[in-house]
Amino acid sequence: MGGGGWRLARGRGARSAQLPLVVCAVLAAVILLLGKAEASIFDRARAALSDWASPALEYVREPLSAIERWVDGIGGIFSVYDENVQLKRENAELRKWQNVALSLERRAERYGLLINAVPDGEIPSIVARVIGHSSRPFIKTMILNAGAEDGVKPGQAVVDDRGMIGRVYLTGERTAWVILLTDLNSRVPVSVEPKNTPAILAGDNTPMPALDSLPPNATITPGGRVLTSGDGGLLPPGLPIGVVVADDSGPHVALFADSNVADYVQVLDYVVPQSPPPEAAFEATLPGARLPNPGPETDTDETGQGETGQGEAGQDEADMGDGDTAANVARATQGGG
Amino acid sequence: MAGAVTMNAARILSSVLPATFAIVAVVVANLPISLFGGLIPAPLLALMPIYFWVLVRPDLMPPAAVLGIGLLEDLFSGGPPGLWAAGFLAAYALTDRQRDSFAGLSGFGAILGFAAVMGMAAGIAYILASLAYLRPTPLAPLLLEVAVTIAIYPLAAVVIGWAHRRFVGPMRSD
Repeated sequence: MGGGGWRLARGRGARSAQLPLVVCAVLAAVILLLGKAEASIFDRARAALSDWASPALEYVREPLSAIERWVDGIGGIFSVYDENVQLKRENAELRKWQNVALSLERRAERYGLLINAVPDGEIPSIVARVIGHSSRPFIKTMILNAGAEDGVKPGQAVVDDRGMIGRVYLTGERTAWVILLTDLNSRVPVSVEPKNTPAILAGDNTPMPALDSLPPNATITPGGRVLTSGDGGLLPPGLPIGVVVADDSGPHVALFADSNVADYVQVLDYVVPQSPPPEAAFEATLPGARLPNPGPETDTDETGQGETGQGEAGQDEADMGDGDTAANVARATQGGG
Repeated sequence: MAGAVTMNAARILSSVLPATFAIVAVVVANLPISLFGGLIPAPLLALMPIYFWVLVRPDLMPPAAVLGIGLLEDLFSGGPPGLWAAGFLAAYALTDRQRDSFAGLSGFGAILGFAAVMGMAAGIAYILASLAYLRPTPLAPLLLEVAVTIAIYPLAAVVIGWAHRRFVGPMRSD
């Protein structure tokens, strides 16, 4: 880059590098093939690397985040007035919708009581911080500072306060890798409102993933909300994802969540509710049926005082909550959708 | 005695500096930072120290180091392992073969030289990614990353050049 070009190496020609270069090229090819055939080897290496580097990633992140905020702030100065006007308008609109939502919520509660509907269970979740983010041409991933030690498992949904971001696909001891909805390899079963049309949300490395595998003759209206369908039992149904956007190349989805600005996210520990087998359910309704199991196993110690497993679990949870772990993991709960 | 120790320390520092630069570049490029609301993708920072030192002091940036840096990039970015390792090695091969031409470039020409090397690395990575995923990958995000990387290179070259002068040795232009 300098004015007069660069100083060349001393006593080192191109030919001397030929052999190592060929060897390294062969090694790279072997790694590529091995990566396809035995991906688990590299997954373990990747998880170990992120575990090892997580303190450094968190440490380096702080000053860079400050720069990010500063740069974003510069751009924001010029649009403060317009944004303020737009926000006021949106706020007025949202207040109107809030009233509608509240009245509908109360009505839904009353209907639920009338038909003895089973309320949606709460999904336990793990709060984790984003410590790595790869928005590359071939891959869209992020690294979280919570891993297997904190209860994170592959397949779990990752959401922020606006909607779903992606799924966990790899866990280390203290870190987890998330495949984003925009990634080329991401496939999520969804349903599209208002007709709950089933579809597959297929990432294509662009900011707006495509809607794929639509039923024949299905009509998708732009603006329709896209939610997880829960098909397959891996993801909870009803997680908000985005809205349909019309495009020349077919329907795409503008995502609610923006993974680029996500700081803290929730990893949902969803388990498909187990319904009792039909016979058992029928027997339970018969007169004189046996009382249900009283609950957690009760141990009686020498003093005769009972100590339940639930109490221990509760204590464990309290201990976990008190501890200021490096992962900043906290147990929280999230509504089913 | 003290002078010999200092000389050895300086030699060790200068020999590990290029690889260290590249490793830090890999980590920084994969941090969750999104400038301008995520509109601009992260540049391929690790290619910059590779290009610079393969050109200036290839003995400090051997192919094995390039392979290792590429693998680290693959592991950190979450992509197929070996993808950028192969891309960086292709960039190494081009730079090494054209060292005399590239080293004579300056100013805008130097940026064009880096653009050629970046294009080579991106092209190889694109072909391998399409083979790995068994379908053509979208080209637009890659072109955007190439453009951002080339645009940032002049600034990075100033920083790398300063580090080279300070810890490794003078440039030909000095």
